[in-house]
Amino acid sequence: MQQLLERIAAEAEDWTELRFQARQTRTLTVRNGLLEASTSVRLTGVGARVLALGVFGFASTTDLTEKGLRAAVAAARSAARTSAAAKRDRVDKLASASLARGVFPVDARDPLDAHPLEEKLALALATEARVRAASAKIISAAATYDEIQDEKVLVTSDGASARIFDSKPSFRVLAIARESGDQSLGYDTVGVTGGWSDLFAARTTDELVDHAVRLAVDSLSAPQPEGGTVPVVLDPELVGLLCHEAIGHTVEADIVLGGAVTADRIGHRVASELVTLCDSGLSPYDPHAVGTLPVDDEGVAAGRTVIIERGVLRSYLHNRETAAYYGVAPTGNARAFVYSDHPIIRMRNTYIEPGKDEVEALFAGIRHGYYLKGFAMSGQADSNAEFMFGVREARRIMDGKVGQLVRGVTISGNAFSVLKSVDAVAHDFAWEKGAGSCGKGQPAKVDSGGPHIRCTLTIGGRQE
Amino acid sequence: MSQSILDLCRSGVAAALRFGATGAEVYGQSADTTSATIEKHDLLMAKTQQETAFGIRAFVGSRLGFASTNDTDDLERACREAVVLAKASPGDPGNVLPEAQTIAPVEGLYDPESARYTTDRAVEQAIGMLRIAESVDRRVVIGDAEFAFKRGERAVANSHGVAASERTSLFLYSALATAKDGDRVSNMDYQFGAARSVAEIDVEPIVRRASQNALDSLGAEPCGSSFRGPAVLSPQAVESLLVGLILYQANARNTLRRQSRWGDCLGRKVATSSVTLVDDGRRPGGVAASAFDREGVPHAPVTILERGVLASLFHNTYSAAALAQRNTAHAVGSAQTVPAIGPTNLAILPGSASKDDLISEIGQGLLVTRFSGNVDPVSGDFSGVAKGAQLIRDGRVQRAVSGTLIAGNVFECLETLSGISQEEETIVNLTLPYVRVEGVSVTAA
Repeated sequence: MQQLLERIAAEAEDWTELRFQARQTRTLTVRNGLLEASTSVRLTGVGARVLALGVFGFASTTDLTEKGLRAAVAAARSAARTSAAAKRDRVDKLASASLARGVFPVDARDPLDAHPLEEKLALALATEARVRAASAKIISAAATYDEIQDEKVLVTSDGASARIFDSKPSFRVLAIARESGDQSLGYDTVGVTGGWSDLFAARTTDELVDHAVRLAVDSLSAPQPEGGTVPVVLDPELVGLLCHEAIGHTVEADIVLGGAVTADRIGHRVASELVTLCDSGLSPYDPHAVGTLPVDDEGVAAGRTVIIERGVLRSYLHNRETAAYYGVAPTGNARAFVYSDHPIIRMRNTYIEPGKDEVEALFAGIRHGYYLKGFAMSGQADSNAEFMFGVREARRIMDGKVGQLVRGVTISGNAFSVLKSVDAVAHDFAWEKGAGSCGKGQPAKVDSGGPHIRCTLTIGGRQE
Repeated sequence: MSQSILDLCRSGVAAALRFGATGAEVYGQSADTTSATIEKHDLLMAKTQQETAFGIRAFVGSRLGFASTNDTDDLERACREAVVLAKASPGDPGNVLPEAQTIAPVEGLYDPESARYTTDRAVEQAIGMLRIAESVDRRVVIGDAEFAFKRGERAVANSHGVAASERTSLFLYSALATAKDGDRVSNMDYQFGAARSVAEIDVEPIVRRASQNALDSLGAEPCGSSFRGPAVLSPQAVESLLVGLILYQANARNTLRRQSRWGDCLGRKVATSSVTLVDDGRRPGGVAASAFDREGVPHAPVTILERGVLASLFHNTYSAAALAQRNTAHAVGSAQTVPAIGPTNLAILPGSASKDDLISEIGQGLLVTRFSGNVDPVSGDFSGVAKGAQLIRDGRVQRAVSGTLIAGNVFECLETLSGISQEEETIVNLTLPYVRVEGVSVTAA
């Protein structure tokens, strides 16, 4: 396949990118003692992208014969040329880069395929049973194992030729508790780029069960909070979420060009000087972050990009098109989820670097506030950095002590205002995206994390 | 492709039985999709996609396995894998296939004119959306928009004699608008539209609505003070606040999962008597219209809520068998997923009051255009940001407000819902009115 793609790309009249992808996905879901799903999905195809007359065209096909691939290239070229008259801002050039050539395997020393279906099924069955056995208040339980394994071949007419392997398993536990007609939900997830044993290195399935059950049961009697603007301590999961959803999207260069709040702000102070925020295709501080990738889908090495350095905005996230526009080097952020998606600017692993404070010290000095942990259900952020996130676990802080659980907590505000309010950054660190993914017209497996931080934000709650 | 999709589904069923299945179902779909995308008020690119995919459910007694492939030459391997997965699985008595029934075709699902629809016409429509927005107001920017058309065929065959197929055409369009006036930037507004035929394509209403909503939120200021009171929800806010929870609660699978409060509420009141909710998989022109569901069961109209009383749950074959209730033909999904449960063309029936009537009776409240937040489908608690919101004072919309959080409980909203408008909007497969709910907590940022 690689030789065929190279030959077609070499003969192309216009700049051409060909991306073969074979994806194997497996899912096992056990719920309330029954196997709800045992599925295997195989997707194979090629995406062809052509830059002609200053416009991209894209076509995908499942016909992997030479004739089928050449037809896809012709369709992409035709789409580009058809669009040319209507396009206002042409793509003058693509930024040059040292394009990847070679084989890029994933860091998975314990391959998923070495573990049989029966072992994975047994783990899902046993885990789900443990949730139901954990408390008489649990009325529904589920455990889900997912794995995505990819093989990609990426070839461009200007020199990239890479074979890339990836492996991303995840595991989710869900518990629903009921008491006196009231119901509440608790869950926990883990996800990695890596192999089977990497998946449970940070948290075992027993720990996932304990956390999900405790949240579901404790939330039954939890009151809702009073709304208002208060000091809070955010855990690494919410710090990561803030980095990714509320800051990260506003520095994706395509969003910046669309009028994001970060336009023309490079070199300006946008956060507390305690904040250094990065996006990386590597997995610093802790291996196997979900968004780890060696090479992006334009063939650019996926290294570390410092977005905010001690409070000052330093860089956007680029593909080769936007890097050329801004006159900078591409940052390796062009990603496509499956062969039928065209590469767009996406984050990888986004995080705040650890500081110097002890975690416990962050709570001291808060007379009335909240300790907010984890992401619940849904969230959204606009390109003006205004965000709204649900919080999975929120506890009151009274006179520096963490106390009562409250439920139904939503936080919102402007992410840069929140980052400016950061007055303490702890020295711990964790990746926490778990089994989740990011949506931007197409999904992407990403990770995010950081240390605990202390800041001020607005909490939605009940008004009497 | 020399064989039809239905022929390939039939051959897949035979292969699964040959590999040891006691029952089998193969669902196939083939589609050619073309889209033109707008980004930053400019054409981004045109794109084409061709894909055929098959999903195989193999039953070995009450044990079930599922495999999917998008390679026709790989179909037999996928059938074998589905059987292997089934043999490795524990059994579940709910794992049954539907029996064959007579399926009447639905007219108007496929427009032959769509075969002559070309990429350049999609580009024209996408560019046309920009011109419409500019004609509304030069301050409007279309950040994202798409015009897409899809021609395809879907088919399903099973070992109980189900064998059905249909051709479809579908045009989908969306626009995300923001208004900018100097340093002032509005909330974004996102609208969708769809058509089954070339003659029905009309992108103008959605672009105008997105543009106007964005303009209306320009210059929004914080709410000022927090309060608890009524809120009038736009059809889009009704979708994100109320419909999601209703679909979750009325999904029979969630009754089986013991995750629904409505599992034992059939025939009982779960909302005020002004609420009637109907679903019609055969609705003429409906985006989700089709003759049969993901399992090959014929579609028919179903009333879910009748004057506030829960009249039926949404079922597929599994849930209907497990709960011994009538299968409502709501199996949904693609060739890459096992059949789940979901709505087709769903509508909350309109009321007798106008939208302005709903507002005129409010002393202090909020008009919510879009809700960006969480609805916990289990507890019913919701909390999030009211986007494009307008403060209501003394029966009139007073001004746009920003950064306003709303919170409450959807079960309570359904019980205290105090008005439904005559006006309604269709959002892809949902037709919804404006709704007034009571007791919403409004927190000023």
